[in-house]
Amino acid sequence: MTTPRKLAVKALRYMLIGILVVLAGFPVYWMAATALNVNSQLYGTGQVAWPQLQHLPDLVTELGNVPIGRWLFNTLLIASGGTVLSLTLGALAGYALSRFKFHGRGLVGFLLFMTQVVPEALILVPLYAMFITFGLLNSLWGLILANVGFSLPVACFVLKGAMDAVPYEIEESAIIDNCPRFSVLTMIILPLIMPSIAAAAVVSFFAGWNEFLFASTFLMDRTLWPASVGLASFVGQYETPMSAVLGAALVFSLPAIVFFLLIQRKIVAGLTAGAVKG
Amino acid sequence: MPALTFNKVSKTFGDHTVINAFNADIHDGEFLVLLGPSGCGKSTLLRMIAGLSDITSGDLLFDGSVANDWEPKKRGVAFVFQTYALYPHMTVRENIAFPLVMDAFRKWYHLPIVNIVARHRLMKRADIAERTLSIARQLELEPLLDRRPASLSGGQRQRVALARALVRNPDLYLLDEPLSNLDAKLRTQMRSEISALHHKVGKTFVYVTHDQVEAMTMATRIIVMNKGIVQQVDTPDEIYDHPANTFVARFVGSPPMNLIPASVSNDALQLSGKLAVDHAAPLPSRRHMTFGVRPEKLTLHPAGEGRLPAQVAVVERLGAETVIGCRLMTGEENNDQRLLEHDLVFVRVSGNPKVRIGELCSLDYQAGDVLWFDIDSGDRIFPGQE
Repeated sequence: MTTPRKLAVKALRYMLIGILVVLAGFPVYWMAATALNVNSQLYGTGQVAWPQLQHLPDLVTELGNVPIGRWLFNTLLIASGGTVLSLTLGALAGYALSRFKFHGRGLVGFLLFMTQVVPEALILVPLYAMFITFGLLNSLWGLILANVGFSLPVACFVLKGAMDAVPYEIEESAIIDNCPRFSVLTMIILPLIMPSIAAAAVVSFFAGWNEFLFASTFLMDRTLWPASVGLASFVGQYETPMSAVLGAALVFSLPAIVFFLLIQRKIVAGLTAGAVKG
Repeated sequence: MPALTFNKVSKTFGDHTVINAFNADIHDGEFLVLLGPSGCGKSTLLRMIAGLSDITSGDLLFDGSVANDWEPKKRGVAFVFQTYALYPHMTVRENIAFPLVMDAFRKWYHLPIVNIVARHRLMKRADIAERTLSIARQLELEPLLDRRPASLSGGQRQRVALARALVRNPDLYLLDEPLSNLDAKLRTQMRSEISALHHKVGKTFVYVTHDQVEAMTMATRIIVMNKGIVQQVDTPDEIYDHPANTFVARFVGSPPMNLIPASVSNDALQLSGKLAVDHAAPLPSRRHMTFGVRPEKLTLHPAGEGRLPAQVAVVERLGAETVIGCRLMTGEENNDQRLLEHDLVFVRVSGNPKVRIGELCSLDYQAGDVLWFDIDSGDRIFPGQE
């Protein structure tokens, strides 16, 4: 039976969830509201707090003047290319670190960890010199490689941790069943650590999606820019079309939100994996 | 020719020797049990047979060929793990069919993504589907074929693990404590099922356990191990009736064999240092030794009627029989208040005799039922043949 006390607790819980939803959603709403406002209002005191849909055609026209589709495609390429590469190499490296005993295993782990200690800006100049040498300047593939340098160690650690939790017997059982090592990894271990793969994918994907520093340094060609650099290019010396910036930002964030929604269940499972004895 | 031969096989981890110069033959079609306490190296031995652990020194021969460096797949063995090691993301059907699917895989099928397609196609191949179904029927798993291991009970998982081992019809089955995670009732049931299975398939089974009941009920031969060293290799009956040393005597049998320190002085036997006993049979020609007698070979009598005066300390009523733990009345028993199990002499009697803790009684034995062991090495000694 529902008592008034239980009802009050339930109401309070929903109220709290409501507040959190508003807090999390307000920036997105404000982005949409600003994008559909007139620039002159934004710099004054007359900004309307809700989106003005009659300005939508103006926004579309304004965004049509820049290659936003191309920028988004570049971003998607950088993010997904980096994710695929990080996960592939991270799974192989994680498996080696988890399952094989070899000289220098600790050192490899330490060096991977060190990549997270060094800030990106610190290696910008040496990386630039290397990119010139290898002809990777002004190339999306070069940028993907640079990003993977930072996201791969994270993916490797996440996947290694998950593989450590997979019992040896399952692997040995597959070996007895005539399954080669590589297939043990792809057919047995990887399906068992899907939640962790999803978590590593999110980290790698968003690292690539939000990439700005390397992209703005290594890519000169406007058509190769990712959306982040493209967005920054809206900022002019004398004027910044704020509604266009936020309109583009809205378009920029939508695929990321969709990606996150698609795999969020897996991520939650990955975060809680191992919390309860199975 | 033996199916498997161990020739001075040793295994060391760093400075620690787990198995020391192990010699044994495993015959074709036999049910061999490796019996020993935890950490004695029996599972390591099984893993070495399977090719999952390297051999440090010595030779392991498969049908006469040295197989030390053979890959697991070349050995053609099936392995049932203690934890069952089922693939949690596959259904029971996929688990059972997995070894067959792997055998049918071509090299390029192992490429990522290709392997998923290949596996699904091979699962539908008539011979694989039929064989899987036939094994599942044999082990009464047919209704569970489309379920995942997580939704099965311990006994069902155990049967899936056995089915996966059986499906390839290998010559050698390796079972590593497969019943230790089951409850007592299910363990008894699975014990008979595995024995029946062995008779049915007629292949060689090597079974690792620390449970002497499993070993005694299932084995055609037992290898008793301790600290990586073979203590005795023999049939269950011989191991029980004629243990090679005090370790085997104590390890096999529940309650274990009664081992009492004994000494001979002026051709008279004294047990526990003080208790003089009229033995009426040849005694070993040494001063100190260990007197061993199985609990069921002792008889319980009212006080004064048997040769060994005793006091009841523990009574375990098991229904059909009763195990009574007694303290020998050596004359100094009042100074020794310990009630530790190894200080007690156990007697097994049928039915439910009316005995109470603290009651005085006496025990007796037939001289022919007594086994003698060296007091230091623990090895069996034979009076008159020393």
